[in-house]
Amino acid sequence: MSQQQSVPALQLSGLVKQFGSTPAVAGIDLTVPAGSFYGLVGPNGAGKTTTLSMATGLLRPDAGGAWVHGIDVWRDPVAAKRVIGNLSDGNRLFDRLTGEQLITYTAMMFGLPRADIAPRVSDLLDLMDLRPAAGTVVADYSAGMTKKVALACALVHAPRLLVLDEPFESVDPVSAANIEDVLRSYTASGGSVIVSSHSMDLVQRMCDHVAVIAAGRVLAAGTVEEVRAGRSLQDRFVELVGGRHTSEGPQWLRQS
Amino acid sequence: MVATVLKLRYRALFNTLARRPWQLVGFIFGVLWGFGILVSVVAGIVSLSLFGSLEASAGVSIIAGSALVLGWIVGPIVVAGMDTSIDARRLAPFPFTRRQTMLALAGTGATGIPGIVTTLVALTSVILWARWPLAALAGLAAALVGVGICVVASRLVAELSGGVGGNRRWRELIGTVVLVVAMLAGPIITGVLSLLDGGDGSLGERLGAAAAVLPWTPLGAAWGVAPALAAGDGLIALARAAIALASLSVLWWGWSRAVGGATASPPRPSSRQVAAGRLGLFGVMPTGGVGATWARSLSAWLRDPRYLRQLLVVPIFPILFAFVSGVDGFLFAASPVLVAFVLAIAGYSDVSYDGSAYATVLATGVRGRDDRLGRLLGSACVGIPLVVVLSVVTSVAGGDAARLPLVLGAALGVLLTGYGVAAVTSAMIITPVAAPGDSPFKSVPGQTFVGGLLVFVVWAVIAVLSVPVLILATTGMVQGVGSWGWATLATGLVVGGGVAALGVVIGGRTFDRSGPELLERIRALPS
Repeated sequence: MSQQQSVPALQLSGLVKQFGSTPAVAGIDLTVPAGSFYGLVGPNGAGKTTTLSMATGLLRPDAGGAWVHGIDVWRDPVAAKRVIGNLSDGNRLFDRLTGEQLITYTAMMFGLPRADIAPRVSDLLDLMDLRPAAGTVVADYSAGMTKKVALACALVHAPRLLVLDEPFESVDPVSAANIEDVLRSYTASGGSVIVSSHSMDLVQRMCDHVAVIAAGRVLAAGTVEEVRAGRSLQDRFVELVGGRHTSEGPQWLRQS
Repeated sequence: MVATVLKLRYRALFNTLARRPWQLVGFIFGVLWGFGILVSVVAGIVSLSLFGSLEASAGVSIIAGSALVLGWIVGPIVVAGMDTSIDARRLAPFPFTRRQTMLALAGTGATGIPGIVTTLVALTSVILWARWPLAALAGLAAALVGVGICVVASRLVAELSGGVGGNRRWRELIGTVVLVVAMLAGPIITGVLSLLDGGDGSLGERLGAAAAVLPWTPLGAAWGVAPALAAGDGLIALARAAIALASLSVLWWGWSRAVGGATASPPRPSSRQVAAGRLGLFGVMPTGGVGATWARSLSAWLRDPRYLRQLLVVPIFPILFAFVSGVDGFLFAASPVLVAFVLAIAGYSDVSYDGSAYATVLATGVRGRDDRLGRLLGSACVGIPLVVVLSVVTSVAGGDAARLPLVLGAALGVLLTGYGVAAVTSAMIITPVAAPGDSPFKSVPGQTFVGGLLVFVVWAVIAVLSVPVLILATTGMVQGVGSWGWATLATGLVVGGGVAALGVVIGGRTFDRSGPELLERIRALPS
């Protein structure tokens, strides 16, 4: 058991990715312990999405590697992807399918037995409050509903590691709270989550670990308590990343 | 204000060109092409004005002018794709009146390459009337009205096919109907003309008849003013000018309504709803990578307009050939093979049609072999029945049912071979295609000269691999079907099936290696 625990859910080492002449990720090392709820925060363009894409086998790194529960993502992508549930940001879904069809399709892609699929899809529709929209084409969903159906697809094969890129963006507060509960009980039962977010409150509340990245590098990583060092995560983030202005805005914008 | 929008449009164009050298090459070809047309048209006009009779000048002016207007209406939909970089919806947030918006849009239409070429051609056409100063003067004004009709009509069509109130299904329906009509336009016009003159008029007579009718329609009215004046018919000229101006006003009014609709009600969900639990093909296919991909691919073939558009060749080829050379001609008999050829290549860059949703395929870690096989089965479920039915129908209609095995063997051989080749190429080639849900007729940024040539390379590979079955089929055609028919059928199935199987294996290996790179290339496409 202790041997099992010591293998991290996700291990990134020396990840580098360059787009043209701009380095997007400039050497990232990260360890997500099994069973942890790991937050990844950083300003726009910090390299969060690029990092998570390389961790899940969607984007080949220029250098470095990624291991999921000890499986090398880039040596054995098929085995690695079986244990990853991935919600990627900025990619479309097959949105000509209905929500129910899309989740069923994803379950089939993972080769779940036919008998398991329908009950799982039904559970996920309830969980995401998507039951009334089950028969609606995903293209006609709102942004928040699209996010939720994508999350359902990431969960359907009961992965050991969930990689969620901006999962709560445009999701309504009630659904977000429901999803939060599920993710909590998922990690409590031994699953691991790494989630990127712009909401410091959410990360401070939900996560037990956090990494702050900016300009493709890790600025700080560890448990949330360690990183925030007695202050709010928001303040600590601003201090690490910099760039906060204290101006009142330009004169012409002031209404009186 | 209008000037600002025009500047914006050129700034956007130059930014795109600066970033993408191959598109710059395409753009330069476009400019040269436009310039070449301009020079040859002006040369034609000058020589006609020097040596031609008034009737000839009038005929050319009216028919060419009408064709120009028709081209502006149909061309953007069918050939070039619509330039939607600036449309009413994008200008909606700015404090423009509807009239300002429309002037800005008409301005961008008139100042693109086609707009500039059209304007110059229309203005130089006045040279035709150099011998009649009054006609030339009126012709100048009429030409400007004609260009206005071109621009406004094409904007109206663009707005309409962009969706009345932005309804997605409506938009898709209109686009498909327009395409069918446009592709069948040749046969339809031939049919109408032969009805008019009882089918025995020469081409010249038919054109003469058209030149007499067209000036009284919105298409030709503007171009018929100067010829009437030159011939001394002031009243006729006045009537035609009135028709032209009325057409322009009606088009402007219709466009104004459409723009109002587009800006006031942005695209809203069409709420296509099926009962929960209706899984369609996803409830039928076996679970696993093959079954899931198969179900998704087949759903796309049955519903996605971008795929349906490729199926239009199925009826169009035989109908076209029946018109051209009759149902007992060789082309009609061979049309199933040509259809198979076109259908086979439809999937040559199939992954492109996934768009960035391909990321969800990649994230599941599906094996390349399974993905290839699923896609192949999806297209085969549509392609094979269509080709079989078409072979039976054309053989029976051609009055020679005995040639069925021959035709079937050649068509299926080509189709299966093509599927095999596409299974490999679609793991290698990404082309810019219309995004899911977009009109399949929208112009796609990033299409390059070299990329377009790849289709022909793929076609050549299919043709070479199909040589055995095509030789058998041709021999059978020449020497009389006899036992050649069954030999062709057997060869087609065996060789085609073999190539398809090999394609799945090789394509699968390629896909396993290149999967992430395909996504990177899809995401690098301009959207």
